[in-house]
Amino acid sequence: MARFIVHRLLWALFLFFVATVVTYLIFWVIPTDPAALAAGKSATPADIARVRHFLHLDEPIWRQYLRFLWNLVGHGSLGTSFVNRQSVDAMIAKDAPVTASLVFGAAIVWLTVSIPAGILSALHPRSILDRFSMTFVLIGISAHPVWIGLLLSYLFGYRLHLTPIAGYCNFFPGTVGAQCEGPVNWAYHLVLPWITFMLLYAALYVRLIRANVMETMNEDYVRTARAKGASEARVMVQHVLRNSLLPVVTIFGMDLGIALGGAIFTEGVFNLPGIGHEIIAAYNGADLPVITGIVVFATVCVIVFNLIVDVTYGFLDPRIRL
Amino acid sequence: MSKRQVLPALLLVVGAAMVAATVGVGVAGSATKRVAAGHALKGGTLKVNQANADFDYVDPQLAYRTDDWIMLFPTSMQLVSFREKAGAAGSQLYPEAASAFPSVSGDGKTYTFHVRPGLKFSDGSPVTAASFQRSWERILSPKMGSPLGVNLDLQHVVAGGEDFLEGKTQHISGITAKGNTISFRLVKPNATFVSILSMQWFTAIKADTPYSSTGLNVYAAAGPYYIASRDPGRSTVLKRNPYYKGDRPANPDQIVFTPNVDTNQSLLQVKAGQSDVDLSYTPPTANADLAKQYGVNKGRFFVGSTSCVNYMAMNNARAPFDNLNVRRAVNYAIDRPAQIRLLGAYAGRRTSQVLVPGIPGYKAFNAFPLKGADIAKAKQVGGAAITSAPTLNVVHTTSPASTNRAQVAEFNLKQAGFKVNDQPTPATNYYQVIQTRGTTYNFVTNGGWCADYFDPFDYLNVLFDGRKLQPSHNNDYAYFNNASFNKGLDHAASLSGSARAAAYAQLDHDLMAKYAPVVPYLLPTNDYFVSARTKNWIYSSYFGGPYLNSLTVG
Repeated sequence: MARFIVHRLLWALFLFFVATVVTYLIFWVIPTDPAALAAGKSATPADIARVRHFLHLDEPIWRQYLRFLWNLVGHGSLGTSFVNRQSVDAMIAKDAPVTASLVFGAAIVWLTVSIPAGILSALHPRSILDRFSMTFVLIGISAHPVWIGLLLSYLFGYRLHLTPIAGYCNFFPGTVGAQCEGPVNWAYHLVLPWITFMLLYAALYVRLIRANVMETMNEDYVRTARAKGASEARVMVQHVLRNSLLPVVTIFGMDLGIALGGAIFTEGVFNLPGIGHEIIAAYNGADLPVITGIVVFATVCVIVFNLIVDVTYGFLDPRIRL
Repeated sequence: MSKRQVLPALLLVVGAAMVAATVGVGVAGSATKRVAAGHALKGGTLKVNQANADFDYVDPQLAYRTDDWIMLFPTSMQLVSFREKAGAAGSQLYPEAASAFPSVSGDGKTYTFHVRPGLKFSDGSPVTAASFQRSWERILSPKMGSPLGVNLDLQHVVAGGEDFLEGKTQHISGITAKGNTISFRLVKPNATFVSILSMQWFTAIKADTPYSSTGLNVYAAAGPYYIASRDPGRSTVLKRNPYYKGDRPANPDQIVFTPNVDTNQSLLQVKAGQSDVDLSYTPPTANADLAKQYGVNKGRFFVGSTSCVNYMAMNNARAPFDNLNVRRAVNYAIDRPAQIRLLGAYAGRRTSQVLVPGIPGYKAFNAFPLKGADIAKAKQVGGAAITSAPTLNVVHTTSPASTNRAQVAEFNLKQAGFKVNDQPTPATNYYQVIQTRGTTYNFVTNGGWCADYFDPFDYLNVLFDGRKLQPSHNNDYAYFNNASFNKGLDHAASLSGSARAAAYAQLDHDLMAKYAPVVPYLLPTNDYFVSARTKNWIYSSYFGGPYLNSLTVG
């Protein structure tokens, strides 16, 4: 098992290295000049050169990359924004809890909805419940989160006044300048984002769980368990669900990792100041350090969750370690 | 229900209960958050959204964007400034912190101001001449890494600026501050100097304010408000300066800015009263409905002019636009009303000149048709030069709005007889392409200018003085360079008062009537929608936005 984990860790490091190199190279080939953008509309070439030097953009790309790596590994720093000169670490540290609030909250909702719906659909194929579930799946997969978000906030926020139209409140009180805070306000402002964000995933999971459960119920060991007189609950929990939910564990870990890298659409519609929101602003400003920082963060999230899934899977299914 | 249905059904019930419980909490929360009705003119919290934007800096010596300056204005105390008044009255400079306009030496190179006694920062410390000296030092200091200070060549405006910028001196030798008297010794006479001082960069800042390359978020301010807190990407809060004793309005108790709101959601929030106004304007598609429902400038929906002019530029350095007749032909061919219709309702007014209303020297005239394209006249003026012209490289950005604009312009150019090669260019690279001398573009559809300060110099001299052409980053991306016109620019810049305004009015006219280097087509407007409780709207054409400290809520 230790060898397995070490192998996975080394692979994670390699992935991290590749992701950062690719991000840097992409920015190198994009024909834009952050120094000119930062210097403003009337800058002379001498002014641009001064700004370029200030931002270290006059160095060769490999040296910029090595500087980035050294700052990251040696000082734990992701650099500073070209646009507003804020620390990228601080920006991500501030944004990540918002995205985590959205993703983990939505994850609880989508699992809560999709697991029972998927199982019930599998147990009663072509029933009204199953058809209802499949309609939900179709809508969830087809409808864009922006459209769903706008629709929900118009209906529940603007028309019915049941929820805020948009905005975010910190979970923990005491933030400087915060206009609302505390767990109640936090949840109140996240209801619609959670629903919007979970719809796509819930739809996918319902479909996945339904198919897995139906397939597993036809396995020989399930038939054997029933033949041996095992109770229906025991058959479902010990044999059917345990096996059919294994792939869900895998995909859930990966989805969480990817989603933490930025739920761009949902954060945009509901004005949640998270990672996705930040990366859009950084893209618009050609803010390379922020984009790179977020890519590094997203990469780490995906790698960590993959690692957790791999290791968990290794424990759940010893064949994986072979 | 069979046994095997119990578990999933239970999970379903739990899930539904979670959602219902959270919504229930929300309803309770909303009930407690409702604002009590009231009609006081002063007080309350003005809630301001910024659709898809945040301030890049709130440090006055780093902030440069329009929304930065709209936010900073209530906090600022400048030697000269604009009053919170609508129309022309709001475009006139007055001595704010200064006791009077400056005395100017005989050679026109030394300006001396006397700061009014008794002015105080929000921490109670006095505003002195050194407060204004510090703002210049912070904007030109290499320790600030401020690229903005050199935008207007400020290091070459005040004596000693260049040495200070290079880090050779501790202070700018051309600025002396003693008690309440501050003197600026200029490198050469500069009639725009007082206008330059009206920019937000030159607000009073405490003399011991540190240099900061990342910019300060909170600091003592001398205007009616100060920045009480700033959390980038989350919020900025202004509160009343308890030590401000001047006559400028300070109506809301506090002003809270929420950045990066989705533009449609922001409109809904203002409609619902959850926010009071959005600094980033209304969605263009909503303007017609808003105008129909609330009227224009009648209480909720406001349309205001700006200091901006939009134009399409022709590359005067290359054929065929090195030929005046061809440039004039294009000015006849472009359908200005069609261009404006593309932008939706209340997007702006048609124009065929560069100066904008409100700027000294502005005198309305129509050198070219404003009611639509005159293709016959274009063909007549351009003649054979059009048919023999090389294919035009038409450059525009790749945004949908820009692409639409280019398509209409290209249609007009083809109608006039030009051959056209469409060249969409990413926005991140666009200005690099058109501002580099020797560029192969012929015609650009995205062009324009907004004033840094309210003076015709900031339009005509900055944009059309061909002697300033440099290898790259040219504001004169029409590459227009005419010796006679340059001479006129020098002459006008050396004048003051009504003679100066008249000289610039003539230059503005001559630019289009005699040379036609660009195709001005739009004086854009900014459109705002406010909540039902927001009153006392006073609009600044200079900032292109409201005076936030004048607004009342509640």
